[in-house]
Amino acid sequence: MRGKRRFCFWTLIFFLMSLSISSHAAVNVQCPGDNDGDARWNTAGEVQPPNTECLHLAAGDGFVTMADGHLQYTFGFKNVTGTLEDTVMETGMLAAEFPAPTLKFREGTHVYLTLTNVGMVMRPDLFDPHSVHWHGFPNAAPVFDGEPMSSLSINMGASLTYYYQVPDPGTYMFHCHVEATEHMQMGMLGNLYVTPLQDGTSVGGCGSQKYVYNDGDGSTCYDVDFPIQIHAFDSNFHDLHIAVQPLPFALMKDNYPMLNGRGYPDTVNPNPLPAPVENGSKDSQKVSAKVSAIAGQKVLLRISSLATVDFYTLQVLGIPMKVVGKDSRILRSSGGQNLSYLTNSVTLGGGESVDVILNTTGVAPGTYFLYTTDLNNLSNNAEDFGGMMTEIVIN
Amino acid sequence: MRTNRRLIKQIPTVLITVAVFLACGALHAEGAIEGVVSATSTFTLTARTGYVSTPDGGSYLMWGYANGPGPMQYPGPTLIVNQGAVVTVNLNNELTVPVSIVFPGQKAVRSTGGIPGLMTNEAPAGGGTVSYTFTASQPGTYTYYSGTNPDLQIEMGLVGALIVRPATNPGTQAYNHADSQFDHEYLFLLSEMDPRIHDLVATGNMAQVDNTTYFPVLWFINGRAAPDTMAEANSPLLPNQPYNCMPMMHPGEKILLRMIGAGRDFHPYHTHGNHHRVIARDGRLLSSGSGADLGEQAFTTTVIPGSTADAIFSWTGEKLGWDMYGHSNTVDPNRIGANCVADGVALEPGESLADHCKPFPVVLPSQQELTFGQFYSGSPFLGALGGLPPGEGGFNPNGGFFYMWHSHAEKELTNNDIFPGGMLTMMLIEAPGVPLMNP
Repeated sequence: MRGKRRFCFWTLIFFLMSLSISSHAAVNVQCPGDNDGDARWNTAGEVQPPNTECLHLAAGDGFVTMADGHLQYTFGFKNVTGTLEDTVMETGMLAAEFPAPTLKFREGTHVYLTLTNVGMVMRPDLFDPHSVHWHGFPNAAPVFDGEPMSSLSINMGASLTYYYQVPDPGTYMFHCHVEATEHMQMGMLGNLYVTPLQDGTSVGGCGSQKYVYNDGDGSTCYDVDFPIQIHAFDSNFHDLHIAVQPLPFALMKDNYPMLNGRGYPDTVNPNPLPAPVENGSKDSQKVSAKVSAIAGQKVLLRISSLATVDFYTLQVLGIPMKVVGKDSRILRSSGGQNLSYLTNSVTLGGGESVDVILNTTGVAPGTYFLYTTDLNNLSNNAEDFGGMMTEIVIN
Repeated sequence: MRTNRRLIKQIPTVLITVAVFLACGALHAEGAIEGVVSATSTFTLTARTGYVSTPDGGSYLMWGYANGPGPMQYPGPTLIVNQGAVVTVNLNNELTVPVSIVFPGQKAVRSTGGIPGLMTNEAPAGGGTVSYTFTASQPGTYTYYSGTNPDLQIEMGLVGALIVRPATNPGTQAYNHADSQFDHEYLFLLSEMDPRIHDLVATGNMAQVDNTTYFPVLWFINGRAAPDTMAEANSPLLPNQPYNCMPMMHPGEKILLRMIGAGRDFHPYHTHGNHHRVIARDGRLLSSGSGADLGEQAFTTTVIPGSTADAIFSWTGEKLGWDMYGHSNTVDPNRIGANCVADGVALEPGESLADHCKPFPVVLPSQQELTFGQFYSGSPFLGALGGLPPGEGGFNPNGGFFYMWHSHAEKELTNNDIFPGGMLTMMLIEAPGVPLMNP
């Protein structure tokens, strides 16, 4: 109850703050052809330039719920594309999602990603800037890399627009890089992947015309794809954060292992998890980790890790895992030899990704499991059954 | 969290180290990794005690291999030999415990003298000696470390790097194949530390060391925690930590990363700026018979304890979609690429023609809306400087592009509870023609 009172108090304070911030209207969307600042081309006279995408993310704080019911204070992103500039602050405040909204682009697209820092409602003593770091962007320039020591980050109540000419296809990831240990442990993490120019063409008898890479031979053909990101929270870090205490960097030890920001059995909920009252009842965990397919389909798992402490091993029981890519590069020798391999487990540290295809031809319909074989991580803190596990349902 | 105040405490160190480094770096450009070269491939190492400093103000007792009569150093001297050399390492032991060296990846290492130990002959405590000889038959990056109570002694600092230069182009290749060609090479010896162990040893309570409760809170590259990683090599401020790690290059050049897991944990090492290509592991090219054809592109490479990996990093800035030098066509802004060259705007060396004179795609917010990094030049363009608020920036006098190269286990970017620090360094790309201070 004390928490709730505190919540009301800070909400009031922040409401007053937001009045003054919005009167300066420093939120500023840069999106070619968009005239009203909602990052969309939906009003008369607005023309979408060819091959161009715009996005608007808000960075702030919020709440999520762990699978054992533990409420967790977080930092995160919310997609505010479509929101007019003068309402972005109130839409984005206390609306952080975990994981961040999934970003999916096609190779070669011009992307204008506006990031607005809406501040941390529950920590008005902080004035942290934020950033977007596209992890793995090849030949990056510091100005759009989001690593704050070598570039820029955006202050509260203001917007910075990143520009990307979307690079080679594959599974990347994104996160805030400001005070990285803290902001990443707090949850500013998300899936990001790029689809290849080869999509939509028929190569190697690929019926879906969808490929992980520009493989030239259809060897990375898949039917359905699922981004699966490895996460883990140290609840002590989060709890001390909301209690405005010094943060335990040295003692950081994750006790909530997750896939897409959820511990089992929440992972298999296809819907957003129930919204916490504490953030004003906004959906904050929208990304399911449930994998479902029809027998015979090729299922692509875009697996990445943004865990801030440990390595994790993921295993699929009953369906061989074909690893076709790592770190957004096809597994090929420089001589063109196919280096993909079959396995039943992959191990990832923070900042690593793999593309795994499950060929379900001949696989009996039923429920299969994707889970960590670091067995102590099959837990939601003290709850012994849960954690880093999800289901693959073959119909 | 507001770590600025904490950072400010570190700033004097940062300023001194980086400023001294940038000012003096050019004077002692060896053009290669710092280390020990011997005409006879004979080295004398002395195991002795000393103290390392950490940027949080810590000072910890270490056991390390000194170069002959020199001070204890962490890590031990990087031994640099040529392929085919018969290498002799004489070890003197001034510690109060027996000590030894093992050379993973070397065949038929003979030990002479000393006393028999579990893995190899050991130099007895208090002045004992032992000698090791082997033929460095294969080029590559290797490590050496204590084979005596390694769980304690490697933690205490008895670990180092061994580099075997190939017979072919030993100054510009890591292996006997052009796929390993590099312009600049840097060592990334990664390790971690649990200070409680060092305190127990320092206070004479070695028997109480419990490796089952190992919990590191400090992380190092070449024996230094950031920001000391970026200070000059052989800095008088760090007498027991002579090796730095601050990679530098020009666009289009190649950096060889020699990565070594020198502790007990795995570290996912991430290069901002571009992918790197792992071309070798444990001193062997990743090859099916044709160069490093099995090399693996990665943006993060797991560095494994006791194991090594060599990777080539390059960066061109191509396909950004804007001119990274900020060129513009004053005749007609719509004429880009070859047309812009024709209109008299020359390309920089290696510049992408496709992006030549393409305008910068967005307007950056005003200064008061931004927070600037110390390594930001104030301009998005390579080789250019821009306006910065008073007191911001300052570590980038030539308008270079800086990239953080760091452990992506983000917890490891701290120095005993203080962010930022730990296992990180900044890689610098200078504009063509700007001399590199740490080549």
